[in-house]
Amino acid sequence: MSRPSEGGVRRSKEGSTLAGVFAVVVLASPVVLGIGYSALGALGLAGPGTGGTGPSLDRFSQVLGEPAVWEGTLWTLWVAGASTVLATVGAAGVAVAFRGVGWRNRLGRSLAFLPLPVPHLAAGVGALLILGQSGLLSRIAYYLGWIGGPADMPAVVLDPAGIGLIIALTWKELPFLALVGVSILETRGEALEETARGLGSGPGSTLLRVTWPVLWRGMLPAAVAVFTFVAGSYEAAVLLAPSDPLALPLLTWERYTDASLTRRGDAYVLALLGLMLAVVAVAVHEWVRTGEQGRTGS
Amino acid sequence: MGLLNTRSRGKGSALRVGVARIFFALAAASLCAWGCERDPVRETLNAPELALLPWDSVVALARGTELTWRMWRGDPAINAYVDGWVAKTLKERYDVRLLAVEGRGPELVNQFVVEREARAKGGADLVWINGETFHNLMAEELLQGPWAGTLPSAALLDSASAIVMTDFEQDLQGFESPWGRVQFALIYDTIRTPNPPRTVEELGNWIKAHPGRFTHDQSFTGVTFLKVLMYALGGGVDRFEGGFHQEAYDHGSEAVLAWLRAHSGWFWREGREYPSDVAELHRLFANNEVDFSMSNNESEAVTKSRQGVLPSTARPLLLKNGTIANAHYVGIPFNAPNPAGAMVLANLLLSPEAQLEKERPDVWGDGTVLDIGALPPGWKTQFEALGADSRALPKDSLTRYALPEVAPEYHERLSEAWRRTVRRPGG
Repeated sequence: MSRPSEGGVRRSKEGSTLAGVFAVVVLASPVVLGIGYSALGALGLAGPGTGGTGPSLDRFSQVLGEPAVWEGTLWTLWVAGASTVLATVGAAGVAVAFRGVGWRNRLGRSLAFLPLPVPHLAAGVGALLILGQSGLLSRIAYYLGWIGGPADMPAVVLDPAGIGLIIALTWKELPFLALVGVSILETRGEALEETARGLGSGPGSTLLRVTWPVLWRGMLPAAVAVFTFVAGSYEAAVLLAPSDPLALPLLTWERYTDASLTRRGDAYVLALLGLMLAVVAVAVHEWVRTGEQGRTGS
Repeated sequence: MGLLNTRSRGKGSALRVGVARIFFALAAASLCAWGCERDPVRETLNAPELALLPWDSVVALARGTELTWRMWRGDPAINAYVDGWVAKTLKERYDVRLLAVEGRGPELVNQFVVEREARAKGGADLVWINGETFHNLMAEELLQGPWAGTLPSAALLDSASAIVMTDFEQDLQGFESPWGRVQFALIYDTIRTPNPPRTVEELGNWIKAHPGRFTHDQSFTGVTFLKVLMYALGGGVDRFEGGFHQEAYDHGSEAVLAWLRAHSGWFWREGREYPSDVAELHRLFANNEVDFSMSNNESEAVTKSRQGVLPSTARPLLLKNGTIANAHYVGIPFNAPNPAGAMVLANLLLSPEAQLEKERPDVWGDGTVLDIGALPPGWKTQFEALGADSRALPKDSLTRYALPEVAPEYHERLSEAWRRTVRRPGG
């Protein structure tokens, strides 16, 4: 085999760069346009019910001055944070427990990945049918004589604590994070663990000092992606979230379809607020990673 | 874009359309009788201009076209009627292909605003609307008109009915064509609640005697229930008629909120949570979590129990204080690419056979907007035979307890007040 010419390598590199730039533009354009339009809408310059009064910060001050908005935002952060943490810890457990090549490990991994293709809407409906006060668990409890009717079943859907929604989102996001975890251990973990064991480290110590840090660093970007997705997702929330506090995505849609045209512009401010949450999550991730790199010198 | 007519231009400006244009359109229409693929005239004449042409010319311009109808697609029975009988008849008789696409009122208003900002060609030829959506579309000048009064089937309308001929007290102005008529009803189960409450007062007593077994949803149907309460507790519908009056609203809304404060502690989840929409309320009712559901369509108890969504023992219930009846309509957006096709469809929807098919309990159960008494005898007999389902409400009861809608501002304000003070106490 002859080596590729220098020109060929350069052309191939240029081709890759061009493809990369194209992909970035395609990915970013709708988001940038959306942010720009939302900003115009929030300033009263575009969208329904603008009234043609020129740019104004009134919508910002009015919407951000509402306690319901901040309660909804905090509630959304609680649900997104809790489900991301539970899914990440669960996924790490799956990755460690079923990382081998034997049939038991393969079966364990396959079962854990099962929810992966299930749409979020279907996960929400499933949670409603299983966890609702008239759902499957409630009916089993009724036939066993534990409860006398739906009202006796603890309310875990449409509940202020968001338990049902957290369970549904954890169930849905865990397989994705487990997939990431398993591939991290396969590609990066084994060699480091072997080295640690060669240097006399016991199984517990290897897990704590080598396996977990490798997993944690590798899974963090995926966990941040899950957090931002969950914080902005509407499908499961509309089925499982309570009416008070109203989750940020639900509040945004409610305002966007308000009977009164004058309220619809509020949705642009709320959309920007949702975007800010995602930006903050990514910034925290960068900060944590930079700190870790600083400590390890990598 | 200059040819597109909106409310601000009205019929007077439509009349100013040049004779040459009309002549050209007629010539093109007759040419199209021999078949043509794409017709520039069809794409430039808007609905008010088409309304000046003989109906046969409108039909000729529509022939061979495709039509997009944006509508709520949340009910399989309605979808089956539209995708089945309507689409098939439209194709067979007029060679117009119908595409029915999801699009609820508020979303349509937002989309048309954005399309206008982008100067984009419209994606909808006909829209299913009423009430506050019509109010918003007219306020933003996003509908074409007038055209609806010139449809041949419009002569059959129940023109004496204020419920059909005004939409939330708004004059239709020929900008929307009536399509169906419904009336709000509670839904109960004859097994679970053999003696249901018949008045607002009895309902209040029932709620306190059965804690956790009643609620309403947060969306349109729930707000209609609040308006039923407002009429009953605020001195009758007369106080709220004739446009929006702040004083009447203050009095009425305070009466509703006081009633809710006195009773919501006995609601499902003690009134701290509410189902998001009426589909969720139906689910709670069907699964025995609550004993009442509700609907803007008095026939829904029967049609949904036939679909298996509600128990077979579910029945509609009218409160003797009166319940709100309203009509729903179709309109043509300002940038509709095929207004001729839209007018042909609107006319078909108003025809006695389409109205009869729609009203059958095993199809949709949606009330007619036609004056049945004025129809030819054959049609009249068929319409009257429809009330025979023993589970449906008798027509005379519906008429006796029907109350009209009031100005859309009542709906908007009451919805906002409920969200601020009841859904989120202290908000």
